[in-house]
Amino acid sequence: MASGKPDGQTVMNKVLLLSPEKCIGCRTCEIVCSFSKIRAFNPRISRVSVFSFEEMAISVPMMCMQCEEPYCMKVCPTFAITRTEEGVVAFDEKKCIGCKLCISACPLGNISFSHVEGKIAKCDLCGGEPKCAEFCPSGAIEFKEPVPSAIERKKAIAEKFKELFGEGNE
Amino acid sequence: MFGWKGTILRVNLTDGSIKKESLDLKDAYMYIGGRGLGVKILTDEVDPGIEPLSPENKLIFMTGPLTGTMAASPGRYEVVAKAPLTGTIGGANSGGHFGPELKFAGYDGIIFEGRAEKPVYLWINDDHVELRSAEHLWGKNTFETTDQLLKETAEDARVACIGPAGEKLVLFATVMNDKHRAAGRSGMGAVMGSKNLKAVVVRGTKSVDVADPEAFYKACVDARRKLKEHPVTGTGLPMYGTEILINILNQVGALPTRNWKDGGYFEYAEEISGEAVREKYLVRNKGCFGCSIGCGRVTRVPEGKYKSFGEGPEYEAGWALGASCGVRDLAAICKANFICNELGLDPITMGATIACTMEMYEKGIISKEEIGMEAPFGNADAIVELTRMTGLREGFGDKLAEGSYRLASSYGHPELSMSVKKQEMPAYDARGIQGMGLEYATSNRGGCHVRGYMTSPEILGIPVKLDPLVTKDKAKWLKTFQDLTAVVDSAGICLFTTFAIGLPEISAMLKAAIGWDYSDEEVMKIGERIWNLERMFNLGAGFTKADDTLPPRLLNEPLKTGAGKGKVVELDVMLKEYYEVRGWNEDGTPTDAKLEELGIR
Amino acid sequence: MKVKLFAYLRDYAGVREVEVSRCETVRQLLGELCGRFGERFEKELFDKENLSGRVIVLVNGRNILDLKGLDTELKEDDEVSLFPVVAGGR
Repeated sequence: MASGKPDGQTVMNKVLLLSPEKCIGCRTCEIVCSFSKIRAFNPRISRVSVFSFEEMAISVPMMCMQCEEPYCMKVCPTFAITRTEEGVVAFDEKKCIGCKLCISACPLGNISFSHVEGKIAKCDLCGGEPKCAEFCPSGAIEFKEPVPSAIERKKAIAEKFKELFGEGNE
Repeated sequence: MFGWKGTILRVNLTDGSIKKESLDLKDAYMYIGGRGLGVKILTDEVDPGIEPLSPENKLIFMTGPLTGTMAASPGRYEVVAKAPLTGTIGGANSGGHFGPELKFAGYDGIIFEGRAEKPVYLWINDDHVELRSAEHLWGKNTFETTDQLLKETAEDARVACIGPAGEKLVLFATVMNDKHRAAGRSGMGAVMGSKNLKAVVVRGTKSVDVADPEAFYKACVDARRKLKEHPVTGTGLPMYGTEILINILNQVGALPTRNWKDGGYFEYAEEISGEAVREKYLVRNKGCFGCSIGCGRVTRVPEGKYKSFGEGPEYEAGWALGASCGVRDLAAICKANFICNELGLDPITMGATIACTMEMYEKGIISKEEIGMEAPFGNADAIVELTRMTGLREGFGDKLAEGSYRLASSYGHPELSMSVKKQEMPAYDARGIQGMGLEYATSNRGGCHVRGYMTSPEILGIPVKLDPLVTKDKAKWLKTFQDLTAVVDSAGICLFTTFAIGLPEISAMLKAAIGWDYSDEEVMKIGERIWNLERMFNLGAGFTKADDTLPPRLLNEPLKTGAGKGKVVELDVMLKEYYEVRGWNEDGTPTDAKLEELGIR
Repeated sequence: MKVKLFAYLRDYAGVREVEVSRCETVRQLLGELCGRFGERFEKELFDKENLSGRVIVLVNGRNILDLKGLDTELKEDDEVSLFPVVAGGR
């Protein structure tokens, strides 16, 4: 569904860029994400989750980072997870057997099981128009062409989360 | 069920029973939810003559159909009970994340009845609902209580609780949720304390559905775009928070100073302004659930004797503890405000009650020995210490805990209490903003600014500019504002949205959410119905036209400086007009015809 | 006369307060200020010839919309305050 741009590039070259320092912790991203997936409101099935660290007064929105080398893809026994040319780690419902190995494999904890839909839930960039970025009121989530420095920053953040949540992951 | 979840919890604290009842849809269509539905239930089930802190009072937590959706600023819920501070219908609205979580657990609201023998809290985990002992939490402040409860229930749950102030029945105790958000006014926390109910903890994993998802989405996108584009909701509030109002109210000469005796100009306003908060202590902005405005301020006083960390102060708190007490030390104001949040106190009544004490101290009515300290206007240490003492009912704090009216009356000087129906007026000197005077006098929960915010047209010129110094048209506008605000408080969205959106946008969201084809006029009628029902409760509780008045200071002592110099509130002329506009008798009672028209009788 | 600036108008102007002399009307005064503080400031104050809906102008605490608008006359000892339209309350 990636719509073409005048210069022939597809929008999928954009990535979700996170700026936790701008996040106001309102969880608008969670509520609009759930609506875009199930036409109802339920933050618990949202593909993006906001973590708040009160003592540091900081909140961080987290979603699938569309890894270059996705562990979830490697571990999937039925090849239901693939990485598309546009850089989306995509998930094929029909092939999925619901073993949930991908949930365990994701080092960032960004895949979950949606009890409402009865299936694996992960960010798919809304087919190229991510709602979280569209509705984020503070610019903490942006969907942009990544300039090199932004990719570095994004990696650095992802690394931090590996450290922060690595041990806490169920 | 669309918008609503369709289930209300009824918790009898006396016998420990918990029932799940179906939402009465007829009532829901007539009163929407939140404040409206809460008031309807209270009116149906409680005699207005009861003692507010007795087991006969009921405490109702109620969300609205837009709570927990992607509507504009949809994080609100209302706490309703007969109010201990005023004896009127009580109610207080709050944001944060607690209200939406209650919806996600599957409930529109909770009705608490009776009184538990020992302290308890309610734990709601989706369908599982149980009362648990809270004896180990009694005495803990709201932060400690919240942390402990999240540990023993679920870390992704949400908590609404009382602090020591609620436990000790301070008449203006708040219900605090998500640590920093308050159902603040009229003493809902004291009602909770009187029932031995320490907290409500909720975790929900269900969905909120809407009747017409595509129409709802469109209506929400439209409303959110308007919020983003409006200078107040798109720039002013996100950038500075509510404290930004300090300077403008001061410049128009309507910032009540030193218990309202020095007129509306505080010479040190700049030091306690939103600009100063931003410059000195702001850490980060914070938004309630789904809110695009994000007016909340996380603030830190990094050093010194008032070193502290928390949220706020909001404009009203900053004024009450600041200009109203003649205090210019912003760090002390922050600290006192944080204590209000921790102990569960309404900072407006707190600050105004300290201001009243300061005036009595300066007039020699109360001595240093009685208070336990020197308490002249401007004493920064006093606001911090007296706030702490009040929350714990320690020493002189035990008297402050009754609010300014009872305090001043006990010394024979009720006229020094700047209150209406015993609730302290907030931060707008009505002598310089005439419509605010009518608003204070007629608000159904006493001195209050959030049930028809006349400052918006009179000072900010939104949606149209009204001259603040004249009385013309104020009654008509106030009725519209009061009725619309009742709708907003009942729908589950934030009042601040109404700077940018109005009836058409709000009813578009409502209609698409619940799938009921109201006309805009019918939606306004709901607001009017709620207002009249609240009025009927108050009349039943013994209030009369004589109570629709203001402190003598506002009626007899002209402003000394500023644009409103020489002005008093011309209440008589506005009140007469107001009763007419409302379709009430000259004595301020709704006519039978009006009640029938509204379907109340 | 004294002109006080508030909130982000301070950032736009780079000052909190200025002294301006010899302005007969608010229109003239604001024109003078726009000349001093530049385009960004002017865009905030005016939509073409008209006062924008984004600012509040007070003369001695009175909103000029309750006086004669941009034609409100000024005296040498008047105090003028300029605010962005901002709001709040708890």
